[in-house]
Amino acid sequence: MMRVIGVVLGKEFVDALRDRRTIFTIILTALLMGPITLVLLANFISGFEEKALARQIYVDGIERAPELANFLARNSMKVLPAPEHYEDEIRAGRLQDAVLVIGQDFSARLAHGDAPTVTLVFDDTRSNAQPSIRRAEAIVQGFEREVRRLRITARGVSPELLTPLTLARHNTATPKQQGAFLLFLIPMFSLIGAMIGSMSAAIDTTAGERERGSLEPLLTNPIDLPALIIGKWLTVASHSCIVVLGTLCSFAVATRLVPSEKIGTLLQFGTPELLRFCLLMLPFAYMVAALQMLVATYGRTYKEAQTYAGYIALVVNFVPLITVFASIRDANWELFVPALAQQVVLARVLRGDSIGAIDYWLPWATATLITALALWALMRLLRREGIIFGR
Amino acid sequence: MIEVAELRKHFVAGRGRKAKRVEAVRGVTFAAPNGVITGLVGPNGAGKTTTLRMIGTLVRPDSGWARVDGHDSVASALEVRRRLGVLSDARGLYLRLTARENIRYYGRLRGMDDRSIDATIERLARLIDMSDLLERRTEGFSQGERMKVAIARALVHDPQNLVLDEPSNGLDIMSTRALRELLRRLRDDGKCILMSSHIMQEVAALSERIVIIAHGQAVASGTTAELMAQAGATTLEDAFVTLAGEPITTVLPELGEGAPIEAPVRRGAFP
Repeated sequence: MMRVIGVVLGKEFVDALRDRRTIFTIILTALLMGPITLVLLANFISGFEEKALARQIYVDGIERAPELANFLARNSMKVLPAPEHYEDEIRAGRLQDAVLVIGQDFSARLAHGDAPTVTLVFDDTRSNAQPSIRRAEAIVQGFEREVRRLRITARGVSPELLTPLTLARHNTATPKQQGAFLLFLIPMFSLIGAMIGSMSAAIDTTAGERERGSLEPLLTNPIDLPALIIGKWLTVASHSCIVVLGTLCSFAVATRLVPSEKIGTLLQFGTPELLRFCLLMLPFAYMVAALQMLVATYGRTYKEAQTYAGYIALVVNFVPLITVFASIRDANWELFVPALAQQVVLARVLRGDSIGAIDYWLPWATATLITALALWALMRLLRREGIIFGR
Repeated sequence: MIEVAELRKHFVAGRGRKAKRVEAVRGVTFAAPNGVITGLVGPNGAGKTTTLRMIGTLVRPDSGWARVDGHDSVASALEVRRRLGVLSDARGLYLRLTARENIRYYGRLRGMDDRSIDATIERLARLIDMSDLLERRTEGFSQGERMKVAIARALVHDPQNLVLDEPSNGLDIMSTRALRELLRRLRDDGKCILMSSHIMQEVAALSERIVIIAHGQAVASGTTAELMAQAGATTLEDAFVTLAGEPITTVLPELGEGAPIEAPVRRGAFP
């Protein structure tokens, strides 16, 4: 039995390694796509942060409001004159920041307590506009508050009366949890990595044998079917595991290359996280290998099998989305659902939450059970005359 | 030694209401002794391949039995496979492996060590003239080149019994002669060789014993002379047409089950 497994494993590995085009595709998609996406996204977000921190504002007609100019100067805000046709510029997206427009008789109306109008011009569908809008609103409110306090004090009333309560902000999210939003990508790409890694090998060792007409002669050898299947499965599973490991390692490298300092501290994907990910992902990888082999065996040709394997990929890609739409939190049933379990527990790892033993062995047990069932079904299938001879 | 008795097998073609029961083999009985090349001849669709697949243990008979050296193809399938070399209808190779690696894979699966595998490969390569193919990947091989590798693969473990389904398909004249030479040599070593063909001349050139299969039954068997005498024909081809074309009940009533045969009688359908 062990001898046959070894022989099959050796042959399938040599066979797969000579399929250069497939290997190239796997490396490209699984190992590079994730990290590239991560770096691009991180760049985008750190650009966002720089905007939020920038102390500047576009104002049209600042000369009409010396009071506001004084307020801005005291708060060390830089005033930039608005471009001539700012409204067109904003509409066209050439100017993404909001522009504050001062009304004609601002000073006179302010002096009379007549509530002069300032207009904020912006296009909030531009994702880059948000920080500048919030900044402008904060400035206007701050100016308002100051004028209010001065007026009330002038009338001999304590300004404290105007602030009946104080809002103190206390955010319990750790820096790790703030970064976890970004790191949703890592579980997702490692799930996809497991699929991509095993797909071509799973098809080649099952439907490929049928299409080539090599299955019938192979089965005339005096070998136990379980040994043959286990040998093939080990090949496919190791492909899957290798790609998962590769994806995770490339992410670990990518998180160190992320430019922004703030994001860099948020993305803590170091060796401990890497090890936990591996523990969780490897059972999933060998389960996916078995399932893909099972469905691919129904395919008479490589192409047909690709369609069937695509169904599995669809399910695996869909299941983690449940966590996005249905906000399930810390229930235990999802540990029984492959893909979902991985997504949920990996998210906890990244949030820095505590992970119990059950979070490892429950997904591991379900994956092993499903693998065993899939391999058993595969064995039954390979005994069917319709599969052996049906070409 | 290969024996089959009263082998039967049906298939269901189509699905649902269109499903049709096809009687592929309806009671085939014959024996292929050691040291003899036995030829299984019959028109297309006569049940030759299904019969060989049942001997090769991959198809389970509905009833009847097939034995190889006395071992039943169902009860001791692994033992039968050990004693059998099969060149099946499907003879696909692994295209990214070289010819040698293809053959070696089967040798290893059968538990042979690499030294004896390589020795066998060298010997077979000389016999069927494929030494220059050995280190090439089989992708792009011609049909004849692929066939040579498949034959070597089936023979790598030096089986006592050999089952060949249409072995000369796709071979050129030189290779066909080399194959015949090889089969005769194996016969002289006392091997049991059972081959199927739909080409009468092919079988006549090689086989001492011929079994004619038609409509899923063995309708006649014997040497070429015996078959001609049995059909009252002067040439082998005429004998074949007579024997394979007639409804079984009239030619060999003792072999038939007496059941009416639904398939149309293929009188003279054979070239």
